[in-house]
Amino acid sequence: MTMDTRDDVPVIELRHVEKHFGDLHVLRDINLKVSRGEVLVVIGPSGSGKSTMCRTINRLETIDSGEILIEGKPLPAEGRELAAMRAELGMVFQSFNLFAHKTILENVTLGPIDVLGMKREDAEKRAMELLARVGVAEQAAKVPAQLSGGQQQRVAIARSLAMNPKAMMFDEPTSALDPEMINEVLDVMVELARGGMTMVVVTHEMNFARRVADRVVFMADGQIVEEGAPDEFFDHPATQRARDFLDSIKGH
Amino acid sequence: MGLSELLSTYGQLYLTGLVTTWWMTAVSFAFVMVLSVAITVMRISPLKPLRLVGDLYVQIFRNIPGVALLVIIVYALPNLRLVLDYRTCVIVTTILMGSAFGSENFMSGINTIGVGQIEAARSLGLTFRQIIQQIVIPQALRSAVLPMTNLLIAVMLTTALGSQVPMSPQELTGVVSYINTRSTGGILAFLIAALGYVGTAAVIGLAGNRLDKKVRILR
Repeated sequence: MTMDTRDDVPVIELRHVEKHFGDLHVLRDINLKVSRGEVLVVIGPSGSGKSTMCRTINRLETIDSGEILIEGKPLPAEGRELAAMRAELGMVFQSFNLFAHKTILENVTLGPIDVLGMKREDAEKRAMELLARVGVAEQAAKVPAQLSGGQQQRVAIARSLAMNPKAMMFDEPTSALDPEMINEVLDVMVELARGGMTMVVVTHEMNFARRVADRVVFMADGQIVEEGAPDEFFDHPATQRARDFLDSIKGH
Repeated sequence: MGLSELLSTYGQLYLTGLVTTWWMTAVSFAFVMVLSVAITVMRISPLKPLRLVGDLYVQIFRNIPGVALLVIIVYALPNLRLVLDYRTCVIVTTILMGSAFGSENFMSGINTIGVGQIEAARSLGLTFRQIIQQIVIPQALRSAVLPMTNLLIAVMLTTALGSQVPMSPQELTGVVSYINTRSTGGILAFLIAALGYVGTAAVIGLAGNRLDKKVRILR
């Protein structure tokens, strides 16, 4: 019973979120709920605000007004409370952002040791398991610059997973990758989704969206224009804006 | 006075001068590094007053001639009932100037880190302090080895300000002034001292290059 009520609360909820960059209105009245175990894929033309929305969820971007709730609790504005909340949300960036001076293993153990207070020995054991899971265990002693983009991004995913996050955000995780490396990263994400991870994925990979998403959100000009199940959205988009977008990316 | 006469009369004095220059340099540079880190942390802190103080510090001490700063410290500090001996005055002058340049070196090192790594660290839940300790300072230190090597040489040369005040034992340039007031060593007396500076700088430069190769961050 207690479990049920807890699962009724969305892991992530945005209410009437507004944001401007100067004169540019980048987020307009964004309302969104992500349930436990749900995979939400956000698509839309560049400049539609989808990355910005993704980054507001752990407050890498501040918002002008509205509310962001994590498991029903408002996102703290700053300080230790914010840091503690961020520790519970994973974030994977377009440009990997691994720590350049640390080894792959140290990249994955930093958070568990310094933030969660885990013992080095335990953190390293867990890190090696995660690195093996994403297929880069043999690279553990190297530094990021020695790895390919695809390998770096898989390490970045392992780094997030090491924090046992409640949800993970992916901000265009394959956009900076060479084509032949995209699938190795998507495969890891598919496996995560199947394992029940709550995910918000901003991406241009429509096949991934169709295959893995529980729900697709289409954004344009800072607004959520349309949302629905992937098959329904891709086969019968309800709005002209979405039809134009889907047409523009088809046929190559 | 010829070379052999200069060396036989003042050889010991030169040697003491060189060693004095070395230890004044070492002491100054140790403080320069500590103060540079502190000033730099202020300049990147989230608190605006701290940032202002840090920026102001750099603007002031980067832009005052060393001799002028030394005069201020020697003659003005006693008015604040702070009387330092002459050697300490020279070292303090060197530290104040050196750390302004040192902070600039760190700032350019920090600029190479990129906002992405900082965002990744914030996303993991690291606090400002942890990010500074774990991500910013180690990378800034490692990418500032070459400019800091230059700064170490500059700090050594700045200790020559010691020739402007009475000190015992004197540092290398002070030794030359002393010799030239007593006898006619002329340019040769300076050349011997220059050899000490150039030799030391060459060793520092080599060591700096090796250290840089060892710790440089692959990007």
